[in-house]
Amino acid sequence: MSRALVLVGHGSHLNANSSEPVWRHADTIRSRRLFDEVRVGLWKEEPSLSRVLDGCTADEVFVVPMFISTGYFTKTVVPREMGLTGTTTVRHGQVIRYTPPVGVHDSLANVIVERAREVGAGPDDAVVVLGHGTRRDSDSEKNVYRMADLVRERSLFAEVVAVFLDQEPSMLNMLDLVRAPRVTVVPLFIADGWHVGQTIPDDLSLEGVETRRSGRLVRYSGPVGTHDSLADVILELVEGVPAG
Amino acid sequence: MTGLGEIWIRNVGEGISIGVGEAIERLPSTVPAIRDRVRHDDRGSYRPLSGARGLPAGWHVRISEELPLDAAIEAVYPLATVHRAQFRDGTLRVVSLDEVLDRQSGRYEIASNLSSAGRDLVRSVLCDNVCVRVPVWAGSSPGIDDIPCPEPCSVLVALAREAAIWETARPVATDPDPDVEFAEFDLPGNVLRETYLARAREEQAES
Repeated sequence: MSRALVLVGHGSHLNANSSEPVWRHADTIRSRRLFDEVRVGLWKEEPSLSRVLDGCTADEVFVVPMFISTGYFTKTVVPREMGLTGTTTVRHGQVIRYTPPVGVHDSLANVIVERAREVGAGPDDAVVVLGHGTRRDSDSEKNVYRMADLVRERSLFAEVVAVFLDQEPSMLNMLDLVRAPRVTVVPLFIADGWHVGQTIPDDLSLEGVETRRSGRLVRYSGPVGTHDSLADVILELVEGVPAG
Repeated sequence: MTGLGEIWIRNVGEGISIGVGEAIERLPSTVPAIRDRVRHDDRGSYRPLSGARGLPAGWHVRISEELPLDAAIEAVYPLATVHRAQFRDGTLRVVSLDEVLDRQSGRYEIASNLSSAGRDLVRSVLCDNVCVRVPVWAGSSPGIDDIPCPEPCSVLVALAREAAIWETARPVATDPDPDVEFAEFDLPGNVLRETYLARAREEQAES
């Protein structure tokens, strides 16, 4: 039985970096020759979500949303555009399995830890898991809190908290939420796009990877989505899909 | 030598190559190398629409066992070879602009308010003037060397959204400014925005 993997992401009309990690992880997984086909589908770029399965003849297709949380895109846009009717859709004999988004897999907590350590976070430091958040969908925040909980349970850092770009608790108040003298911010985003590269550093007045602030050191890591190990999280997600 | 869209395809002594313009820079024979090369135009502006005319020129790539011709073409024009084959054998699934706009939600739901004349105009401004793909969904017939487009793309939907807003409060047109990004339709000076507004004004004056 032939198998295809389709990574679906947001993409952008304005930012070339937005879909870069989706393409790169697809290239990585393709090079491992685990699937007969590895494709990318994007909401704002091409191939579009609605056409990404054109010409795909695999018997079984795994569609993995490259999003951090379950929300509007994973619940509404992707299924509508791809004609998916649930976790399993059978169309013209092809079985299409729609997985949860990569961002909700427990293994993502390992990526957060790796990102924090890469910029120097240690056992006496605070780690701030920074999610987008939205006032429109309460599911969106749940995963950010859950990831912060999973990292905290590993007892690798003195403190672990969740903050948000677009809801409370706000990232602007993060230094009030932790006591450690060194604070590492890990963006729970897929791409090194507009928010990670511009709005967050601007709003937090960050000067690069390290910023001195009121006698404390603030470190800013890359987003989880661009980490090489995300390809392994994708594969674990697919391996966890029940057969049948 | 043959071609597809703006790329040329050559089969000379050393094998098959594809490229755009003069063969100055030879890219590694990989899909990511081609994809990265066509991501921005010669001015450095991001190209969100793969079929937009103005591919960066001056490169070529050798087709190899690791880089089949179809994969190289699809790195420039995603799904082009699939859609050409499906059009030829009559299996291409075609979706109209009305269907695409009607299914939008959230930020793009308002696009379905666009008038019939507005729908014709966004197609003309983007598809006829800018894109090498031939909109089969609008009734156009691709030639043997063309790339058929089976369904309006997200860039067209985004332009339709703005056009629907412009129909309720017509903004003042300004001179096109090539420094405004290709798809920043809400910014004065965006070339497609100003083209649309100028054409809409002409059509209004004629009627």
